[in-house]
Amino acid sequence: METATHQSNEDILIQGLKSGNEAAFQKAVRLYTPGMMAVARYYLDNASAEETVQDCWVTVIDAIQKFEGRSGLKTWLHRIVANRAKNHLRKNKREVSADFSESLDPELANRFRPNGRWATPPTLRFDEDAESLMENGALSDCLDQHLARLPETQRSALMLYEAHQHKSDDVCNILDVSASNLRVLLHRARQKIFLMVETFQETGEC
Amino acid sequence: MLMCRDLARIASDYIDDELGTGQKLSVKMHLMMCKDCRSFIGNLRASTDLIRAHSSGKQDPELVRRIDEQVAQALSAKKKN
Repeated sequence: METATHQSNEDILIQGLKSGNEAAFQKAVRLYTPGMMAVARYYLDNASAEETVQDCWVTVIDAIQKFEGRSGLKTWLHRIVANRAKNHLRKNKREVSADFSESLDPELANRFRPNGRWATPPTLRFDEDAESLMENGALSDCLDQHLARLPETQRSALMLYEAHQHKSDDVCNILDVSASNLRVLLHRARQKIFLMVETFQETGEC
Repeated sequence: MLMCRDLARIASDYIDDELGTGQKLSVKMHLMMCKDCRSFIGNLRASTDLIRAHSSGKQDPELVRRIDEQVAQALSAKKKN
């Protein structure tokens, strides 16, 4: 039932975009820009990413006429951003650099004995669910800071997979990354967030 | 035999159900015997939920304002044509 409602809301929005309704664009811009920025930031610095996303929205005014709904609107928008960002990279003869060689975070790796058992096991206890934990403003701010410090490639992969709930195949496609390399990016990013929350709960400090 | 460090390496694959049958079984066997790794998996899963609860709609109001402006301009230019 929820899916059906979601679907028809998206259809209404798409109709609005196709008819050039300004309010529909404003709504879509608010809904989809964070995800589009996550895609663009994988490839580009912040200023170029913002520029690319802005240009994309202007392109969408005409391109939406050809949108047939074979993918969702979100995936369609993310692919447009990815293609533009890749073109931008090519023009500037740059490449995305990411380290896929080790899936274990170095800080976490130090917490094992030579025999492979935990020397410093995790101390975290979660007694509350995620939503009520996020009501803690300090934790939320701390999470922002740590997300900002992640390498762009890890952050974008994490955002698209977790926050924007793309399937693995879609993320691989949008970020031009193999399935096994996506696994490394996601795991490295999650470990960093785990370490941050652990410190925060132990010390109350970020 | 799977050690704690090996499990930590593939913990996200376990959480996302991306492991093959054999590896998944090794992880489950290990988890049955190891409280610390159970705790690690639980924590990693909880951290992942936190990210999901936290950041899907982070907005930069200045960027949104600029996009609104550009889109409005482009729309009205299109209508004139």
